Amino acid sequence: MPATSGHAARPEASGPTGEPFLEVDRASVQYGSTKVLSELSLGVMRGEFVALLGSSGCGKTTLLRTIAGFMMPTSGSIRVGGRDVTRQPPDRRGMALVFQSYALWPHMTVARNIGYGLKLRGKPRQEIAARVAEMQALLGLEGLGERKPAELSGGQRQRVALGRALAISPDILLLDEPLSNLDARIRLTVRHEISALQKRLGITAIHVTHDREEAMVMADRIVILNAGRIAQIGTPQEVYNRPSSSFVAAFMGAENVVPLLVEAGGERLRIAAGPVNRAAAIPAEGRRLGGRVVEARFRSEAAELHSATAFPKEKATEDALVLDGVVMQASYPGGVWRHVVKIGEATIVVDSSHAFASGEAVSVKVPAEALFLFDATDCKEGEEELR
Amino acid sequence: MRRYLPGLLLVSPALAIIVFLFLVPLAGAVTGAFQDADGGFSFGNFIKTYQLYSNDILFTIVIVALSALLTAALSVAIAGYLTLGTSPAAVAILRWLYRWPLFIPFIVVGQILRTFLAKNGLMNNIFVATGLITPLHTVGFLDWRGIVIAFVWKQTPFVTLLLAGAMASIDRGTVEAARNLGASRLRILLEIVLPQAAPTLMVALTLSIVTMMSVLSVPLMIASQSPTVITVDMAFRINAYGDYGVANALGLISLVLTGAVAWIYLRQTMRENAR
Repeated sequence: MPATSGHAARPEASGPTGEPFLEVDRASVQYGSTKVLSELSLGVMRGEFVALLGSSGCGKTTLLRTIAGFMMPTSGSIRVGGRDVTRQPPDRRGMALVFQSYALWPHMTVARNIGYGLKLRGKPRQEIAARVAEMQALLGLEGLGERKPAELSGGQRQRVALGRALAISPDILLLDEPLSNLDARIRLTVRHEISALQKRLGITAIHVTHDREEAMVMADRIVILNAGRIAQIGTPQEVYNRPSSSFVAAFMGAENVVPLLVEAGGERLRIAAGPVNRAAAIPAEGRRLGGRVVEARFRSEAAELHSATAFPKEKATEDALVLDGVVMQASYPGGVWRHVVKIGEATIVVDSSHAFASGEAVSVKVPAEALFLFDATDCKEGEEELR
Repeated sequence: MRRYLPGLLLVSPALAIIVFLFLVPLAGAVTGAFQDADGGFSFGNFIKTYQLYSNDILFTIVIVALSALLTAALSVAIAGYLTLGTSPAAVAILRWLYRWPLFIPFIVVGQILRTFLAKNGLMNNIFVATGLITPLHTVGFLDWRGIVIAFVWKQTPFVTLLLAGAMASIDRGTVEAARNLGASRLRILLEIVLPQAAPTLMVALTLSIVTMMSVLSVPLMIASQSPTVITVDMAFRINAYGDYGVANALGLISLVLTGAVAWIYLRQTMRENAR
């Protein structure tokens, strides 16, 4: 993980207050000699919807499976409602898991799939039938009780898997990328169905996903994982607008990156003119930067594209950063024009409401509030480059 | 017609082999079963077979059915442990051990078990040496029990091999989902894993039954006294009397029995596919 301190990470500041219902306390997990999670701590409030977000191999599914009880942490503990469940089998934790593949039992009907958990608990037949009917009504599966999973659509299977998990009235619902096997269009509606259901039942939910938008739309809080550690925890707005590290900024879509030379000075940060950027002064706003060389990140939609003559060369810009470049390519993905702009050796992507011709010299203006600054990871190199 | 000619030419060698080496001898055996000594059509062979060997036919059905049931039970237990076992060392040892009988021919199995199961065989010697029984109480297993033991010993690895493969290929999530809801390992095996692997178990058992119906060496080595199995009777009719008619009739009865098993299996799979 890059050593950054751009925005102070405030993991607990925004979450609901009080004792967490589910607690992961300094849990480490390893496969053989590979450490997948290292001393990871996380608290989830009762009724909260938390998304574990990260790219593949970041440990998010491992964390979910550890919480569910399918993996044993080598150190640390898991607590539910103050009770230590670290050594408890999966069914003694009051949790139900919805699998990525749904893992429905193909030889059982929908009704038997949903009712199996209750059958295992030795519930009488009428009670099971009533609960199954209730689940079918809740999930819009009426009339499908006698079908086998193979006779259902992807969305219906997904709802059966949800019904099977919810039938046993778990305290915590664990969702392992439940939408990744659905068609893109169905996925959008199922997102809202699941989060509406979660709110209605008031159930605590942990949702693993690699889809940023899915996490943003569904979750109360997002946990961004990177290489087995938590990179940032916060509400969707926080992780989107105040990423605590370069990694989080990049993961949340701020893919454009430019190295800058900064002189810290009280209330305002003075950015020195460089090979590609004009001198600028922007509000410090609590940004704590250690070194002089910083990595600036911003989103393509947050920057504005102007013709090269729009800003006077010699004057330092206030509350915005101006970069000089040449348009390499313009395309129309819908709504806005997307431009690939060559800035020095690097290329960035900038959206604009109207098209600029390929080869045109342009100025890219990034407003101060859309600019994320982090201490550069490779300081020495960066400084050489800027001088 | 010209269009199909190359295709027909390509198929013809295989077709010829099937016709001359399989269909013609089969037809010969079937018609032979319905011929009397003069070559005329007759049910005489079947009447004689019924009079002489109805007990042996029943004996064969009981032995094969019992062996198949025991093989199925053992295979489910072994394959189940290979799939759901939690001790990696035990699973590895079992995986290494269970296949050995696959590589031992039936005649050798017969030989091994003959010396092992006899009244003064190795098994009883061990029992006596350890003081479990006295020499007076030893019982030889060289009868129907010996045949069943030999069949089960030889066929279990084969059925287990197929079954363990089928169990390993089912979605692991279906096992975890059941565990997540609190199913014990036995329930997972019987209610989740086995139903998904059942078609493979049926195929393996069908093939196994056909094999057991055709083995001559094991019953000859272990128990060729009366009652015995159909294969021994067939060999006896031919070797002792040159009586191909009754041998053919016995063979046809064997074929009908295995055919019935195959038919039950086929009907089952077709019903499942139709659903």
